[in-house]
Amino acid sequence: MTADSYAMAENLVARSAAAYASSVPENPADDGFFGPASVAWRLSNDLSAPVAGLRSLLIQALHPLAMAGVDQHSDWRQDPVGRLAATSGYLTTISFGERAAAERAAARVRRIHEHVSGVDTVTGRRYAAGDPALLLWVHAALVESGIVAAELFGTPLSRSDSDRYVAEMVVAAELVGVPRAMVPASLDELGAYISSVRPELRCTPAARESMDYLLDPPGLDEDVADIWQDVREAAIGALPAWAREMYGYSAPQSLTDHRRAEIRQALGVLDTVYLGEPGVLEARQRITLRMRAARRA
Amino acid sequence: MKKLAAAVTIGAGIAALALLRRRIGRPRVARGRAARLRLARGRAALQLAVRGGVRYAGSAPRIFAAAGEHRQQLRNDLALQTAEDVATTLGAMKGVLMKIGQMASYVDDGLSPAVRRTLSRLQDSVPPMSAELAAGVVAEELGMPPEQAFARWDPDPIAAASIGQVHRAITLDGRAVAVKVQYPGIAETIAADLQNVALLRRMLRITAPSQDVDSLIGELRDRVLEELDYRREADNQRLLAAHYDGHPTIHIPGIISELSTRRVVTSELADGARFAELAGWSQQERDLAAETIYRFTFRSLYEAHAFNGDPHPGNYLFHGGGRVTFLDFGLVKHFTPGELQPLMDMVRYLCVDDDPEGFRASMVEAGFLRPDAPLSTETVVEHMAVFYDTVRRPGALTMTGDYASAVVRRFFDVRSPLARYVSVPRSYVILQRINLGLFAVLGELTATADWRAIAEEIWPFVQGPPATPMGEAEAAWRASRPAGHERVA
Repeated sequence: MTADSYAMAENLVARSAAAYASSVPENPADDGFFGPASVAWRLSNDLSAPVAGLRSLLIQALHPLAMAGVDQHSDWRQDPVGRLAATSGYLTTISFGERAAAERAAARVRRIHEHVSGVDTVTGRRYAAGDPALLLWVHAALVESGIVAAELFGTPLSRSDSDRYVAEMVVAAELVGVPRAMVPASLDELGAYISSVRPELRCTPAARESMDYLLDPPGLDEDVADIWQDVREAAIGALPAWAREMYGYSAPQSLTDHRRAEIRQALGVLDTVYLGEPGVLEARQRITLRMRAARRA
Repeated sequence: MKKLAAAVTIGAGIAALALLRRRIGRPRVARGRAARLRLARGRAALQLAVRGGVRYAGSAPRIFAAAGEHRQQLRNDLALQTAEDVATTLGAMKGVLMKIGQMASYVDDGLSPAVRRTLSRLQDSVPPMSAELAAGVVAEELGMPPEQAFARWDPDPIAAASIGQVHRAITLDGRAVAVKVQYPGIAETIAADLQNVALLRRMLRITAPSQDVDSLIGELRDRVLEELDYRREADNQRLLAAHYDGHPTIHIPGIISELSTRRVVTSELADGARFAELAGWSQQERDLAAETIYRFTFRSLYEAHAFNGDPHPGNYLFHGGGRVTFLDFGLVKHFTPGELQPLMDMVRYLCVDDDPEGFRASMVEAGFLRPDAPLSTETVVEHMAVFYDTVRRPGALTMTGDYASAVVRRFFDVRSPLARYVSVPRSYVILQRINLGLFAVLGELTATADWRAIAEEIWPFVQGPPATPMGEAEAAWRASRPAGHERVA
């Protein structure tokens, strides 16, 4: 298979937005696993979120077994946008949904993972999607990317809020099937864990093809494609040097205040387009109202 | 073509014209979807610049339309409470998008009714500041909290402006006033975002450098930057209030100078019917209101050399009998006599002297038409005449939405033989809003008048006799003014 076999990415924004809007509950029975006072809610609304998402996919894909599971089993190549939208909806449900809704969504993912196993053609190693080690890698990349992207392009978290965020997110890993004891619960633990996995990482052909696709998705609306160039540059610039080297991406120019402002402006335009999709603004407002109520309380 | 007209989101059509011209010269193929993309592109420009920006702002009225206590609660809960909230809501290009959306908010051609409805609410739809945040800005600007600066201060805003909001107050000497308060930090944010010309270009779907586009963006930046400084707006309003002092139907609220600064502008409080209410008025009343708006637009242009680039329905209050209060002078363009002369010459040669060669020469002089354009003068006139249709011949004529649309369409007609030889010099970019704004408003009123006869009253090179009862009243008012007053600019 070549990268050309991927389906077009049209409606990436619209479909992600629809998944997001429908996953933020209207009259929730409880505050879910995080709640309106959490760092996780704040970070989910951060301007840098698209950079965080793309960066975490770039890092996740470097684990050959995690990548093989996606590449060989999911409908990733046939419907990459659908797959991304589903992931976006899942994360939104976990973050903002009621506990019951989050548990249902997680149970569904665990069920799907039960049937995903095989042999990675590059390393020859067996894999199973339900393997906590793989799930933990995916989790760690997501959590760390949120912190790094906010630091560079959004509203940076303080050191203590970063620690708090890592600790808050432990439950997300648990929900999908990682034993609590395995999950990093502080920034230091997270860094140590990522370092410990690095020897296993490599850029397989499947990873390269997937990321080539994501960095320049064919068929995006042209206006969004323009903006995506900045998101891509920001995500690559936000990668750790070792990850960039595995992919062979050239080192980014140093991030000047001017360039940072430009990227934030591009992210603002993208966010505005996103907000223009049906239901997104209302979902944001539901979240804002709950966060404000929590702040007053 | 109709959709492409929607690309005029910043109130000046030449951008789209430049875009079209470029596209013809260098067709691009985008992954086999070129044809569809081309059709979608004008739409895309609007969507990127406005879809988000407007919907984003546009949902506020729906929320505020909720009933009673619940409504007030929601308003309080969603209000911007800190300068950081302002930065989050309007920073990172969002404020600029909102400005662009505001400017597009009465352009009808190519917009679906649903989008148009949303757009028309934009003026009143930006999230408000909390009472505390607004009071803080007033305190910084006036040196004391609003409760001390004014005898009475209403902490609940009565209207939202794009970068601020309006509060009612009563001055210490007892005058009822409207106080426009700017969002803290917004001027700096928008000024910084306007520096990103490359992104502005991309937002306009224009990816190649072009003199026309740079002029357009330059003009947009100048006008928006001016609008960020309320002292400029106060100056404009003072100028026009003096110009129309005592006018029988045109009213401009006076500025309270001692309570006006860079981020706060205080003017006399005006009340009246909103544009939407005119739908229920008699056609006669609508005709009179339209006549006043028409007279205001062209008297301001030809006499005060000033053009309000924001002829938005939300900026008028109606009082019956044709009396109209004009609000919001943040976006006023001032012309030099040298800039106006070729425009007046074009009107005179085409509509009065019937001198096509003179018309063409004036177009070239103004910079609209390339001197070497290989076109017959007949062709030039044929394609330009639509812009003058309402004043070429005497007699009653009804403005319609169709006419406004036809003017806009013609402006963007890529098949026109003129397309590759015309451009709009920077100084005149904003005038396109006569087509996009004034005519759209008059069309919505389906206003009937002998526009030619009214224009003749106003044209300095004709100075015709009063053509209507309003013209009579205006003539009497003009006769009563001190000599030389009409040349305030």
